[in-house]
Amino acid sequence: MSGPSTHATDWYKDALFYQLHVKTFCDSDGDGVGDFRGLTSKLDYIRDLGVTCLWLLPMYPSPFRDDGYDIADYCSIHPAYGTMDDFRVFLDEVHARDMRVITELVVNHTSDQHQWFKEARSSREHPRRDWYVWSDTDDRYRGVRIIFTDTEQSNWAWDPGTKQYYWHRFFSHQPDLNYDNPAVQEEIWRAMRFWLDVGVDGFRVDAVPYLIERDGTSCENLPETHAVLKFLRRRLDEHYTGKVLLAEANQWPEDVRHYFGQDDEFHMAFHFPLMPRMFMALRLEDRKPLVEIVERTPAIPESCQWGIFLRNHDELTLEMVTDVERDFMYDEYARDPVARINVGIRRRLAPLLEGDRRRIELMNGMLMSLPGSPFLYYGDEIGMGDNIYLGDRNGVRTPMQWSGGWNGGFSSADPERLAQPVISNAVYGYQSVNVEAQRRTDHSLLNWTRRLIAARKSSPVFSRGSIVFLKPVNHRVLAFLRSLDREQVLVVCNLAGTAQAVQLDLKDYAGAVPIEMFGKSVFPRIGEAPYVLTLGPYDFFWFRLRRL
Amino acid sequence: MPQPSLLTDDLVQQLMAVGQVDILVGIPTLNNASTIGPVVRAVHLAFARYFQRERTVLINSDGGSEDGTPAIVRDLSLDEPDTLVVRHALRTTHRISAPYHGVPGKGSALRQIFAAADLLQARAVAVLDPDVTSVTPEWVRALVAPVVGDGFGFVAPVYARHPLDGPLVTQLVRPLLRAAYGLRLAEPQAAEFGCSGRFAADCVELDVWDTPLAQFGIDLWLTGRAIASGCRLCQAPLGPRTVATGTHRPGLSETFGQVVGSLFTLLGTQADTWLPRTGSDPLPVLGPPAPPPAEPARLDGERLLQSFGTNVRDLKSVLDAILVPETESALEAAALGQPADLRFPDDLWVATVYQFLAAHHQGVMRREHVTQALLPLYLARTGSFVLQHAGTDAASVDAALEALCLEFERAKPYLVQRWTGAPSR
Amino acid sequence: MAQMITSAVSQAAANFVEAIRLFLPRVVTTLSIVLAGWLIAAALRLVVRWILGWLRFNAACERAGLAQMLKAADLPQADVLVSRMVFWIVWIGFLLSGVDVLGFTVLEGLMASFILFIPRLVIAVAIFVAGLLAANFLWRATLLTAVNAHAPSPRLLAGAARWLVLILAGAMALDQIAVARTIVLTAFAIAFGAVMLGLAIAFGIGGGHVARRFLDRQFPGSPTERAPDDVSHL
Repeated sequence: MSGPSTHATDWYKDALFYQLHVKTFCDSDGDGVGDFRGLTSKLDYIRDLGVTCLWLLPMYPSPFRDDGYDIADYCSIHPAYGTMDDFRVFLDEVHARDMRVITELVVNHTSDQHQWFKEARSSREHPRRDWYVWSDTDDRYRGVRIIFTDTEQSNWAWDPGTKQYYWHRFFSHQPDLNYDNPAVQEEIWRAMRFWLDVGVDGFRVDAVPYLIERDGTSCENLPETHAVLKFLRRRLDEHYTGKVLLAEANQWPEDVRHYFGQDDEFHMAFHFPLMPRMFMALRLEDRKPLVEIVERTPAIPESCQWGIFLRNHDELTLEMVTDVERDFMYDEYARDPVARINVGIRRRLAPLLEGDRRRIELMNGMLMSLPGSPFLYYGDEIGMGDNIYLGDRNGVRTPMQWSGGWNGGFSSADPERLAQPVISNAVYGYQSVNVEAQRRTDHSLLNWTRRLIAARKSSPVFSRGSIVFLKPVNHRVLAFLRSLDREQVLVVCNLAGTAQAVQLDLKDYAGAVPIEMFGKSVFPRIGEAPYVLTLGPYDFFWFRLRRL
Repeated sequence: MPQPSLLTDDLVQQLMAVGQVDILVGIPTLNNASTIGPVVRAVHLAFARYFQRERTVLINSDGGSEDGTPAIVRDLSLDEPDTLVVRHALRTTHRISAPYHGVPGKGSALRQIFAAADLLQARAVAVLDPDVTSVTPEWVRALVAPVVGDGFGFVAPVYARHPLDGPLVTQLVRPLLRAAYGLRLAEPQAAEFGCSGRFAADCVELDVWDTPLAQFGIDLWLTGRAIASGCRLCQAPLGPRTVATGTHRPGLSETFGQVVGSLFTLLGTQADTWLPRTGSDPLPVLGPPAPPPAEPARLDGERLLQSFGTNVRDLKSVLDAILVPETESALEAAALGQPADLRFPDDLWVATVYQFLAAHHQGVMRREHVTQALLPLYLARTGSFVLQHAGTDAASVDAALEALCLEFERAKPYLVQRWTGAPSR
Repeated sequence: MAQMITSAVSQAAANFVEAIRLFLPRVVTTLSIVLAGWLIAAALRLVVRWILGWLRFNAACERAGLAQMLKAADLPQADVLVSRMVFWIVWIGFLLSGVDVLGFTVLEGLMASFILFIPRLVIAVAIFVAGLLAANFLWRATLLTAVNAHAPSPRLLAGAARWLVLILAGAMALDQIAVARTIVLTAFAIAFGAVMLGLAIAFGIGGGHVARRFLDRQFPGSPTERAPDDVSHL
């Protein structure tokens, strides 16, 4: 079976994304900060993993008060990461390895150090004044929720210079752009165009629900916001093909659906509500939350795709869960209150799963087999740990651990100079968890992940197929059929830490022979009677159903 | 010869799918189609509201209903607005209905429920009566929370009822059990109770299930077993208990025979436990008691006393074999006069009960005849008590019932002597 | 002539003596058998009494109400009664056996008849005792049920039930030992039939409502309606 085409305009549907932070991936010049040259030197590693598209965290000039999401210049590279030429070389090398790159597009706000804002706040009459949202009082848009609850008390910040408030849905040093101003829309399009012309393959668009504000609303997901996004998409389609716009909209699936439009807004959107429910299902040993959210997910246009993930650079968000579910997640996954931030948990995958290899494998097995394009977060393929005592979400953005040597192989700088300290404890420290060691071990998590990705890529059913849940009476077993044309894959996962038996109603597939996809073992032919399987703790199967 | 299984293959399959649970609620049924729905709904609401994180299951053990009760249990929809919280529960809800095999009766149903609890390693078990229309989700919480949260082994209910209601309990079962076991249990033979999974599992292997006690007196037996096994007991106020009207219930004679027969038999089998005990200790009551109804159920005391005299005369030859001459003479004396003037004092009633109990134990005649002979005397005693306290407030009646209990306790040495001594004649 | 008479008398005397001489051993044998029988029967009586004591026979009879009936009839206790019956049956057997040895033709078949008679006698006694037990049980059960059901004249009903069973048991016992068979059967049939007819007429005319209440309770087609005072005692 041939792999998916990399030249199709909807290549993102078959892509395997790898999210990384240039700052902490690889430092080539010994200044303690990762850079593009260092990243370029590691592209073979990323390719060998099976990744087909990189997603870079913001690499733009920034005062770094929000780790680069506070952008001071949309059309330049942060000097610490290298030069524009470094970036071009990096892009060429990525493309030469048949991979792609998407970068961050932080549309909702800029840094207060951005030239635009500096001009806007210089006087009330400045032409750029209404590039941002100003108010004489902080009464406007009353009742709109605060997103960074741990640090902000209001969505308005006082500007003493012009004696007005400016609107910010995130940090107070990140003033929101005013998208009611067409000039803002055009300027953002200009920034997009700049990077597309350089050669990036798309953008992960940050914080899209919050672009427009209207009194008496939640200021989220407003029709005018969609109008802005449709404008940007129109421009994109007019000038480019094969590019992707990926929405970061932390909303319920039926609300995120609007961000696909009629295939005239985003090509992709993250499925935020699915992610905490995977963790919930595992802890509850009950498939209910996972099945419910997937079944609740509405259909999307044929050319669109969900982005699914286990972890990313932010906290494990618990915004799209009920209060009961949130309390459960906190009690089960973040007993230490230091691990909790905003409305979420700032931990990496391995510490969340207590370093249990079986659970890590199961979660990755589910990620790679559920509908959508999977996103891997850098370091999770080797089971990196975190440091919850670093501020903000920096604990999950520590340097990549390449080896057991100096600074984990990340940088030759003095450890005190590193942008973030390397994890060095006995359990997750670079001495024991690193790429070099796992490369040498055939059954390491790294090599297992490679094989998992290879198995996924061996069939387009995972990226493009439909999903039907089997609901055996044993609620500890998650079982579903992925189908595409005549190809069918049966996925069976044991969510429990105890061995389980399950009887599956597969009579609609009677006559098919299940072939386990990793070891190619042949299982008994499916008949009319319920198909009995037994699974070890946290075990899972992928079966290709063959008519032979 | 292999032992017959308590759990059918189909039930085992279903239980396998449920897996280990924290809380199991059991409902034994037989033709309860008209009342089972709200009970099942209340259980699921309790799970969703009060035990969101616990693994739960509802098991209906059915005795061969012909009115579709099991189907109602299995197919009950939880899509109404008031049960939406169940749909949004954290965990999969489990609901099983299965027939039980064995001697028809609540005992076999309970044994199946206990066996299921054992298999599923349930931490707490609660049992509900399908005929009760006043069941609320708070009942389940009240019966389960003390086990799950505070480690109690057995939770007996406390119903909110007028002290003149339920005379068989207040005049006989409660004071006799209190004096015997030394524990102030308000409802010793309640159909609803909670217990630990360990208690339930221990009960499965005992010999009681094939005896008549399991058929007609299992509730009493379980209470006695809980006391005898030394597990921590407590009581939980549930509020008023309302049974559906129109439910077919046995008549008083049959009920009395079952209850008193079971009570006497229970005391007979656990004599080693209660004989040495003296006095009585209160049991913790977890939760605020609900106010009792203002008006008692209507009992015509005079009507109950109408046949007292003739009954004593008619039963003389039977009473000769059971009672000592002094007690019999006192009864005859008490039975003289107009019904409205008759009185059956506490000490005479206590002496009568104790002598009947001793006669039952010693088998002076067929044991069913002993209990049947007590019924007319019980009715007379009840009639006398009702007449004596007609028009008084509930607090006064409570005080009188407490005095009766104390009389039972005070006369216990007499019972011990009768129990271990020679027959009455 | 005198010599003839003397010779005849002497011959007769000799024959008489010879007869006595021949008979005496039989008498002795008979007496021995009777005496031995007495001893054996007495020993058996003691053994049976001991066995019944070990089996707590008296207590069981007390429970069954038999002891009271025996006392009312001025009879000794049940174990004494049974052991005495065993004594007499055994000794009578030996007696008849001894009598048989004497060789009286008239009595020759007696033993055989007695041996054939004993099992029927035992069965007859067993039938009657069973009838006694059943009658007693029925009497008490009827009395208690009637009292608790507020039936009129419970003692009369209970007594009637008891005597009916006793009559039946007595008739069966007498029939078993074939005593005045025809008379007993006829008298029983008349009496029993008359009582049944009378009860049927009385019940049919006067007890219809009772029957209806009874049937309603046994076969409730619809939920039972509670009377205003018909409350749950639990």
